[in-house]
Amino acid sequence: MNVELTVNGEARSAHDVEPRKTLADFLREDLGLTGTHLGCEHGVCGACTVIVDGDAVRSCLMLAVQANRAEIRTIEGLGTPDDMNPLQESMRDSHAFQCGFCTPGFMMQITALLEENPSPTEDEVRETLSGNICRCTGYESIINGVLKAVGA
Amino acid sequence: MTATQQPMAQRFVGESVKRSEDKRILTGTGNYVDDVQLPGMLHAAFLRSPFAHAHITSIDVSAARQVEGVVAVHDGASMQGLLAETAQPPGIFGPAPVKFTLLASDKVRLVGDPVAVVVATSRYIAEDALQLIDVEYDELPPIATVEHALDESRPAIFEDLGSNVVTGPRTNTHGDVDGAFARADRIVTANIKVHRHQNVPMECRGVVADFDTDSQTLTIHGSNQGVGIAKMVLTGQLGMPPDTIRVLCGDIGGSFGLKIGTGREEIATAALSKAIGRPVKWIEDRNEHLAFSGQAREETLDVEAAVTNEGDILGLKVSMIVDTGAYPGMGAMLGGMVENMMPGPYSLEGLEFTFRAVTTNKATYVAYRGPWASETFCRERIVDMVAKELGMEPLEVRRRNIAFQGDNPGKMVTGRTLKSATARESLEKIAELVDLPSFRKRQAEARQQGKHLGIGMATYIEAAPGPRADGGGGLGNEAMRMRLDDDGIVRVFTAQMPHGQSHETTLAQIAAEEFGVPMEMVKVVVGDSDQVPFGFTGGSRSATMAGGAALVNARALREKVLEETANQLEAAVEDLEIVDGKVGVRGVPAKAKALAEIATTATAAGTALEVSQAFDGGQGGWSGGTHCAIVEVDVETGLVDIERYIVVEDCGKLINPAVVDGQVRGGVAQGIGAVLLEKSAYDPDSGQFLAGTFMDYLLPTTTEVPRIETHHLETVPLDPDVNFRGVGEGGMVVSPATLCNAIEDALSPFAVKIEEQHLPPLRILELIGALDD
Repeated sequence: MNVELTVNGEARSAHDVEPRKTLADFLREDLGLTGTHLGCEHGVCGACTVIVDGDAVRSCLMLAVQANRAEIRTIEGLGTPDDMNPLQESMRDSHAFQCGFCTPGFMMQITALLEENPSPTEDEVRETLSGNICRCTGYESIINGVLKAVGA
Repeated sequence: MTATQQPMAQRFVGESVKRSEDKRILTGTGNYVDDVQLPGMLHAAFLRSPFAHAHITSIDVSAARQVEGVVAVHDGASMQGLLAETAQPPGIFGPAPVKFTLLASDKVRLVGDPVAVVVATSRYIAEDALQLIDVEYDELPPIATVEHALDESRPAIFEDLGSNVVTGPRTNTHGDVDGAFARADRIVTANIKVHRHQNVPMECRGVVADFDTDSQTLTIHGSNQGVGIAKMVLTGQLGMPPDTIRVLCGDIGGSFGLKIGTGREEIATAALSKAIGRPVKWIEDRNEHLAFSGQAREETLDVEAAVTNEGDILGLKVSMIVDTGAYPGMGAMLGGMVENMMPGPYSLEGLEFTFRAVTTNKATYVAYRGPWASETFCRERIVDMVAKELGMEPLEVRRRNIAFQGDNPGKMVTGRTLKSATARESLEKIAELVDLPSFRKRQAEARQQGKHLGIGMATYIEAAPGPRADGGGGLGNEAMRMRLDDDGIVRVFTAQMPHGQSHETTLAQIAAEEFGVPMEMVKVVVGDSDQVPFGFTGGSRSATMAGGAALVNARALREKVLEETANQLEAAVEDLEIVDGKVGVRGVPAKAKALAEIATTATAAGTALEVSQAFDGGQGGWSGGTHCAIVEVDVETGLVDIERYIVVEDCGKLINPAVVDGQVRGGVAQGIGAVLLEKSAYDPDSGQFLAGTFMDYLLPTTTEVPRIETHHLETVPLDPDVNFRGVGEGGMVVSPATLCNAIEDALSPFAVKIEEQHLPPLRILELIGALDD
């Protein structure tokens, strides 16, 4: 099947996409956007979270063909190593992450949260991020990074 | 100030310098093993046993070979033909040698044991083809528990061992055990049980093997804690000369001890690439990971403590059994580690320690963040049990028993000096922070209202790396190379293979400060067996060992560069200084020469500005501390809420406080997971694995892990230069005992004696009698 979609503001298309191919595999393998990571492939860990038409979505639980005509945002769309966005700067200031594997999913989940609620409380941040697993940090540094980004 | 000291302007050590790694990982530009995509790359998938213990009576892979896109299919027998004839069963370094093939061929020994592999043009096709492989099994009685393993009527998992006991029983005594027990007023006993749980890094294992048929060389893109170890294993397994294998690791998505070794699937993938002549990728999925990658703990410790009525713990008799799972390796040698550390910072008169390891049809025991940690769990639980029996505060029992510190420090009864241990200081700091009497008052009032609050604390010391023994005693060596390149960058070639520890930042902090350049002018090179010395990251050794190596090499390189510059400028070394990446005569900045220019001139003259010094650990020292938790247990639901969690730790001089805090919190979070959530569960009758998804194996999230209040002692400099100590494992070592002590305290109205480490809601309800056992 053909898939046409917008990724990080850029029109992308692919032909002969297998209907069973997940959006995560499509992004990583077909579009070369390896910033999105796969941590469990059954929708629990949140590492593969991307933003689809404004909502944070687990790209391991969605098929690429379901994303036809959708607008997708991934970690690659937030900022570059030499020009990070304010959230990325705050996370760096807070030593938010360690190994970095869960990071893309957290960053997209947080991005979606802040677009919906620009000044969340710590409890709201914790509640929203409770579906993303980080094995390294104990979460406090991640929460601190979000609160720093919103000026709390 | 001597010529080789740096002006105070450029201090980095001790600062929470921002991480060099973060620009990559925050922008999705990291390079993890699954991100490696090579032209013509194929994908491997493994067929795994659904049974715990069975003979393979037949295997037919012919239908799988017919699937379009499938390039190769191998069963255990044919895979063996791709390995060196001299290849030994991998991963065994504990018990007597046992025979098995890389992929199971005669029998399967656990659920998840690999029996066949398909290589295809996509992972999807490879998994399709797996379903067409026909395997017939003849089930054997499973060895699903330690009791099964000790039951001689059940079959041996390894026939050549003839038994499922792989180590011991072996008993060692230290000090005056008989005297301690003779002088005791009472004996406190417990059967301590630490359940099976596991590392679970967010990135599973994986490898891309790329064999080049023209040059007959193999390039491995891996996810390992040491590139040199992976290279060594593959050299032996594939029978290739060492200079034809290069192992590269990019970013690694966590490990916690799991990825020290090279897995059977990684070896198979390398052998397949060599046989096919194309790159082959294998990425473990989460179900494979939970079932097969490795698991830890599952230890029982029968303990007798000889105690006086005043609360002195005179001696311990401990009998430990570890369930090492199938294909036992490190677990079979665990006893010595636990035994040596069992006294902790306490002044026992005697210790008797008996160790046995058994093999079962479960995942192999692997190192997990403080593999010896059961000594702390066992000892710190016993201390609380002693306190309870004597009606004393656990804090007081700890105070009474912590060994003398000061000018003539005590020794552990197992032999090691307690020089630099600050258990007492950390304990007193906790006492100062929590105000125990006022907590007890609040606890009593809360109980009146049906609220069950509890406080628990636990103390530990960790040999990270441990103090050098009086009169010598090795701490091991850490190799490192350091070079000033023509581009003016100081490159640090370290044996460490970071996977979250921030070595690219912390080693650069030390090297930059010692050498005298901004952080940006130091690059830490990791993960290339052609470039870095042999070694690995593990055992919380990197702070002292690699930190020290960075210090001594930067110092030596600075001397060398200053000497070279003195020649080039025709100046005296004593008059030179390094400022802003330039070397010049002090007070004459106009004549200063850029480091790049000095290096280029030196290179042209045939002088390499490179040093290579091993660091021997200096005086070393203990890490350690005391943790304290205040919890509320809901006796209706069995849920535990952590109201406050305090860490007082001592890892010597902090290199980067934010990195240290991150290590501490991460370890505590894993301890919280171990106690309240995580269990690698097996059916005790069939040996079937029951925790193969994240809906069964529960990890702590933002709603279970509280803020961790962290205090650093930074005391007792032992060494003139290097007083950084390891901090990676301590949080995980001591937090399970801290939490269980707090939970038992909360449940004291129910007279509950907690002997196990895993306390999910259902278990708490059972313990208080609200549910049947």
